[in-house]
Amino acid sequence: MALSGGLSEPALAGAFRDEWGRIVAALIHQFGDWDLAEDCAQEAFALASQRWPAEGAPARPGAWLFTVARNRAIDRLRRAATYQAKLKAVASTAMTETGDGGAGEGAPPDESGVPDERLRLIFTCCHPALAMEARVALTLRALAGLTTAEIARAFLVPEATMAKRLVRAKHKIQSAGIPYRVPPAAALAERAAGVLAVLYLLFNEGYSASAGEGLVRRDLCDQAVRLATVLVGLMPGLAEAKGLLALMLFHRARQAARVDAKGDLVRLEDQDRSLWDRAAVEEANRYLAEARKLGDVGPYQLQAAIAGCHASAPTAEATDWRSIARLYRQLADMAASPVVELNRAVAVAMADGPAQGLALMDELASTGALDGYYLLPAARADMLRRLGRLPEAAAAYREALALVATEPERRFLAARLTEVDPRF
Amino acid sequence: MRPRPPWLGTEGVAPVQYLLVHVVDGELAAAKPWDEAAKASLASWVDQTISRGANLHGSRLGPESDATTVKVRRGELVVTDGPFAETKEQVAGYDLLECSDLEEAVEWASRHPTAQIGAIEVRQLYNDQPSAGLPEPAPGKRRYMMLVCTDPSVDPDELEPVAPVEPWVEEMDGRGTRRFGSQLAEPALARSVRVRDGHALVTDGPFAETKEQVAGFDILDCADLDEAIEVAQKHPMARHGILEVRPFWPFQED
Repeated sequence: MALSGGLSEPALAGAFRDEWGRIVAALIHQFGDWDLAEDCAQEAFALASQRWPAEGAPARPGAWLFTVARNRAIDRLRRAATYQAKLKAVASTAMTETGDGGAGEGAPPDESGVPDERLRLIFTCCHPALAMEARVALTLRALAGLTTAEIARAFLVPEATMAKRLVRAKHKIQSAGIPYRVPPAAALAERAAGVLAVLYLLFNEGYSASAGEGLVRRDLCDQAVRLATVLVGLMPGLAEAKGLLALMLFHRARQAARVDAKGDLVRLEDQDRSLWDRAAVEEANRYLAEARKLGDVGPYQLQAAIAGCHASAPTAEATDWRSIARLYRQLADMAASPVVELNRAVAVAMADGPAQGLALMDELASTGALDGYYLLPAARADMLRRLGRLPEAAAAYREALALVATEPERRFLAARLTEVDPRF
Repeated sequence: MRPRPPWLGTEGVAPVQYLLVHVVDGELAAAKPWDEAAKASLASWVDQTISRGANLHGSRLGPESDATTVKVRRGELVVTDGPFAETKEQVAGYDLLECSDLEEAVEWASRHPTAQIGAIEVRQLYNDQPSAGLPEPAPGKRRYMMLVCTDPSVDPDELEPVAPVEPWVEEMDGRGTRRFGSQLAEPALARSVRVRDGHALVTDGPFAETKEQVAGFDILDCADLDEAIEVAQKHPMARHGILEVRPFWPFQED
């Protein structure tokens, strides 16, 4: 039953988006059984889809759904005659969880009427002892309520493969003893970084999906933004969560301008800036400012600040490249990577001129760290072209063309090559 | 301490502890299902080894997909899903035997039903711990097998020498977390036992030619996997090798 896709009633669709994760999280906390939690949450929504259109949505939809789901769960456990055993298991889990000093212990029910245990669920889904692909799938299933079929379509694998992946991950959580809790303070920073990595991957999967691919795949961006917003709400002191949310919102603001009528990617400097979503940019700026205020500068906040520089420039020419170059420098100091170095070299070239940029790129090329990566010769070619060193530029474009993977990028490089070498 | 087992005689040979690592070949196991006969054969093996005073403890382990590896590189904790090495035959359980010599341990191994659907690696313990069984974990604790493995991709010149393990053992024994454990004799001294068509095939060396090799093991009782990861992370070999943490099989019979 594809509930998340099949809800026509707006109240129901809204409740699904807002309440699914809460209900599943609270049920797992109470009963310690993932499949039971998902099945009973699903049944509660199915009942809502029968009742609400005729009777109207209840005043507190979350509380209604949670009560139905919890009663179903208790009913099933009774019928399975394992009620006592399960209760015992739940009691012993609760005992081992006391006094670990973690945040979010015993969160009281808020106005929605559902105790918010989503932070436990987030940390459990994103536990490092699970494979990355399993973390992503579990997060989408348990927190966002995507069906196995939808997750399979989003990650371009057969449904059976995805089902197996989910079963295996849930089995490991139970039998290897992955705890259902927010990690204690000593491990919190490291584990929170792991959660952010899952959300970032989710966003990038959606962002890199082409227009021709299924909607569910592009919808991953929205899911990532939604989940990051939840995380920001649950961990307001975590600067990098706000940094990541700002980064996602800046990128999403440009989505309409990223692809042209032919479906080709449009480079940042060529994008029609009137298509950028100003409201999303404003929102991103607010989260970025909040992250800055928290002071704990991390890679996501820096990347968001770079995206913010681009977003605030009225034209490509007005871009504050000097600030961008400085931010890339900071980013390279924090998380050294040759791709970051290449981006820094491009920013330096824009700020100080192609000669300075070329010097940094040549240095990078001599390390061999980016051998085989077409963007390095492509960027070098661009520097050489602007310096008027056309034969060298042509050679570098040819080098890049030999490495490029996708057709639109090949077309772009070939066009540039004809500019510097008309015989081509 | 357990009295000296009568089958060792009264003098001369001191008993030696051996770890029998049961490994199962997925294909062979699928072709030769775990039927009533196999269950009976296993039960009879366990009864015999216990009645002869040879079997100290043993258990089936959770599947390879429930394994987690832990290492520390450049000061950072690295946690990964899966076993320490991808091998055709997968570690499925263990028994700890006390025998007069390697020959006897190999003989017991060849009678174990797992030898027919995989292999049994026999490794001597470097251990002077008393012969004793292993009590059940305390309520609220889960039991894990931690395999201490070498990692040849670590360049020993880049690192400090491996710190002595004794402070870790002392701490974890004191916490009630470590219930048993030992270094193992080097892999070259291992024997691997397989039974095919009724014939025992005994080869020198470990069950698989992997870069990484098991160098020791510890049995841990922890509240959850996070505690097991923390305990593994503190082991001196976390910086030089790989620690695989795997839950014991959770059911009495299956």
